[in-house]
Amino acid sequence: MQIKIVDSWLREFLETKASASEIARQLSLTSVSVGQTEPARYASAGVAGGKAGDDYTYDIEVTTNRPDLMSVAGIAKEATASLSGNGIAAKYIPPKTPKVAEGDISFPIEIKNDPKLVNRIMAVVLEVNIGKSPKEIANRLELSGIRSLNNLVDVTNYVMREIGHPAHVFDYDLLNTKEMIIRGSKKGEIITTLDGKEYRLLGGDIVADNGEGEIIDLLGIMGTANSVVNEKTKRILFFLDNNNPDRIRQTSMSLGIRTEAAIVNEKGVDPEFMELALKRGIELYQQIAQGKVVSKILDVYPNKPKTQTVKVSLEKINKIIGVGINPNIATEILQKLGFKVSAHLGFFKVEVPSERINDIKIEEDIIEEIARIYGYHRIPSIIPSFLSDKTIPYANNFYWEDRIKSALKYWGYTEVYTYSLVSEDLFDGPINNAIKLKNPLTSDMVYLRNTLVPSLLEVAENNKAKEIIKIFELANTYHKSQKARSTSHSTVSPSTVSSGRRTRSDRIGSGQNLPKEKLTLAGLIKKTGVSFFEVKGLIEALFDDLEIKNYKVKNRVEGGAEISIENENVGYIEILNSNLIDFEINFEILLKNATNKKVYKPLAKFPAVFEDITFVLDEAVSTQDVIEEISLQSFLIREVKLKDQFENARTFHIIYQAEDRNLTSKEVSEIREQVISAISSKFNARVK
Amino acid sequence: MENELINIKNNAVSLILDAKDPDELEHIKLQFLGKSGQLTLVIKRLPKINPEKRREVGILANEVKESIESAIIEQEVRIKNQELGKRIKKIDVTDPGIRPPLGHLHLITQAIWEITSIFEKIGFGRVRYPEVEWDWYPFGALNFSENHPARDDWETFFIDAPPHPKYGPMLLTPHTSNGQIREMEKGKLPIKMLNIARCYRRQSDVSHTPMFHQFEGLAVNTSLSISNLKGVLEYFVKTYFGEERKSRIRPYHFEFTEPSFEVDVTCGVCLGRGCKLCKEGWLELGGAGMVHPQVLRNCKIDPEKHNGFAFGWGVERVLMMKEGIEIDDLRLLYSNKLEFLEQF
Repeated sequence: MQIKIVDSWLREFLETKASASEIARQLSLTSVSVGQTEPARYASAGVAGGKAGDDYTYDIEVTTNRPDLMSVAGIAKEATASLSGNGIAAKYIPPKTPKVAEGDISFPIEIKNDPKLVNRIMAVVLEVNIGKSPKEIANRLELSGIRSLNNLVDVTNYVMREIGHPAHVFDYDLLNTKEMIIRGSKKGEIITTLDGKEYRLLGGDIVADNGEGEIIDLLGIMGTANSVVNEKTKRILFFLDNNNPDRIRQTSMSLGIRTEAAIVNEKGVDPEFMELALKRGIELYQQIAQGKVVSKILDVYPNKPKTQTVKVSLEKINKIIGVGINPNIATEILQKLGFKVSAHLGFFKVEVPSERINDIKIEEDIIEEIARIYGYHRIPSIIPSFLSDKTIPYANNFYWEDRIKSALKYWGYTEVYTYSLVSEDLFDGPINNAIKLKNPLTSDMVYLRNTLVPSLLEVAENNKAKEIIKIFELANTYHKSQKARSTSHSTVSPSTVSSGRRTRSDRIGSGQNLPKEKLTLAGLIKKTGVSFFEVKGLIEALFDDLEIKNYKVKNRVEGGAEISIENENVGYIEILNSNLIDFEINFEILLKNATNKKVYKPLAKFPAVFEDITFVLDEAVSTQDVIEEISLQSFLIREVKLKDQFENARTFHIIYQAEDRNLTSKEVSEIREQVISAISSKFNARVK
Repeated sequence: MENELINIKNNAVSLILDAKDPDELEHIKLQFLGKSGQLTLVIKRLPKINPEKRREVGILANEVKESIESAIIEQEVRIKNQELGKRIKKIDVTDPGIRPPLGHLHLITQAIWEITSIFEKIGFGRVRYPEVEWDWYPFGALNFSENHPARDDWETFFIDAPPHPKYGPMLLTPHTSNGQIREMEKGKLPIKMLNIARCYRRQSDVSHTPMFHQFEGLAVNTSLSISNLKGVLEYFVKTYFGEERKSRIRPYHFEFTEPSFEVDVTCGVCLGRGCKLCKEGWLELGGAGMVHPQVLRNCKIDPEKHNGFAFGWGVERVLMMKEGIEIDDLRLLYSNKLEFLEQF
């Protein structure tokens, strides 16, 4: 919540020699964040007086737990604690409740309240003269960011800003009713607010009904046009209502009416402010609108806040803050903030002021009050040393992620981060399988992606001007989880549920799982005439680096290749066109097989024999099959590699070696003959 | 015979020193050390001489052989160096080199590595938890009230799926604080956790992207204090931003911490004096606080025995606050313009 506070106004309740910038600084460090203090400038040209520099405004961000600070008086009280806690003399001058003589007649409207909706109503009828507000009042409102309209409306705003409780004024004669019923709205009821806009209510909004079904106020948010004050107004109903904050938020957000009253009311305002606010309002009407109180003051007060006491030990205060706090200082801080404190045997019994009861409930809340005013800068910085000697496995998943990213970088690939949310076009497969957002922001971010490749293709598309693109991404893909298979498994032990732990049995019991988030690695090369083997080579090098040996690359029905490790599919290479090849790999399976373990093989004691054999082979025969077949022929064949290929001829490089002796040329030639005959017969090949 | 050997040595060495190219050197090698080379022939005669002298001459013959061999090797090196020198003079060293391939890692990855390594040194181990979550983890267990604005449709992305009977609606986690609950409910204490993940919020402008990254620290032990939280914050700020940067904590309000703080870091340009860029000398880093006792209870941890502190900051944010990287539109990070990515 943002609020503008005028310096001269603040100083009516705060006695200090501190400058505006000093007050701002202390508030920022110990309470609420104050933006730059600015010399006052009058927003509207219609308001005369006050040169820039005569006054200051504080632009304050009030956290949602502190609606009590949405006023000049509230800030003055807080600033007093803040300044004096840091050695700067300051005194809070609380606003005095003016003495008001009530009118002779009893309050003329019968109000039927619903205590579930409204906590307290105070109201009074006055005779007034409408007119412009005096300069001083108008200027202060303008500086506070509130438009000055006329003296009748200005008083409500002035009271709200000064005391912190919103107020409303009706034209009593337009209202013309003996009855006011506070009720929840019905769905579809239509109102016209005082700014002339029409709204269809959603139901459950807090409204006032004149007993004939006509809505005469949208409580806590904005008045309605049918009872608004105007230049002919002679009599007013000055009306303060304290409402159920949740209802206010619901109405305000769903209708989009974000008045200051609504913003304050939805956080919960202290009904104890109301008497002061009402009487201050009456006083102002008397001063600036020739106000005369006509009726008795009405006070309907079903929900008086309960007093609240929190007990906290000095030991706990010191433990959480981390330094020893002098108990007298702690007491003083709390008292300045409006708490009643009694200290006894190392314990503080703290009575919470009514305006803070929604915020201060537990020991930690009291500790925060003491610590912040004491000054966070006075607390030393000490890194906790526990767990610093904890053993962490070196090669965890993050290690592999980092290592693979590095490898790709040094192999010339550039990493991209694309959105996990995609449009229907970028989703792979039937859209019914997609995990869909209920409330997307834009149409290109509706589904959680199940593959990274389309996002990478989009990157390539968006960088058309680049002739060569090599990119990769390592990110989650998202997959709907399997539904629970049968209801017969749905019994869950109560202990599992209440522990909040997501165990296996729990998942089956609930019948619903979170989607599976699968870490996925994808890459893409765009280059004129790019070779499939450039991508395959990358994957081979990657697998080599991870010590993954037992993988296979097979033709894929859709074109390109399928990669598997130990018969488990791990990913694919896809040839999109002669200039574009991509790949995608299931990173989890990769990690399952990756290892840093190195195995030592004794160096060979006897020399190897090498030779090349060239076969003429049909193009349908796969090189991998030939290599496997050659390797099978003798345990003395240590390695077989494709060395070269030209037209229909493929040259294989064969290494023969025995561990325990020199191989004779006779031995080698026997194996060679066996290889030639095996390959020739199996693949219908011949030696070239 | 001794004289003969010494002559051979002298002849050989002087010829070797005059040799101009490897071929000539090879020729000299054959002339003296080859099968019928001069030295070889002398050595072949050794068995014929007086046995008393044989040993002495034998040693000398060996020495001569070694001298010739090493002279040849030295001259070989000399010749090679001369050739290289001639070649070097011919190349244009301003021509581009032949480079190994070099790509680029995304700025976010670089920041995550740096952050991870900084926290690992003081015992915070990296973890990862779901991005698609039940309401309980990022909201319910973190003490958010039933109608907290963050749970609104216009702030958080919800998944079109039936809610969990116990854990509530399915959604995209709007912060990494779900990791606090996931970590604590494992029931292993003490804790020093660093959770870095993708997060999602329903907003998009120059300083917000619908997807972004946060890093979340959580420590839980028997007796932790604001002082300890400050220690960790300060350590991070000084390590990540530089020794000359200062940090401070200010009061703030979060549902899941009590007390709660906003953490500021001095501006990298003016170092806290105040300048056009930062106005007051300080930049907001993010939130922190002491774990709320109700949050501990929600994770079956007794707040009378254990307490903790936590902080959660934007990876993008710390990246931007680092001096030197002034990106005017955060959305550039995810636009994947290669021209941009290749700068880093």
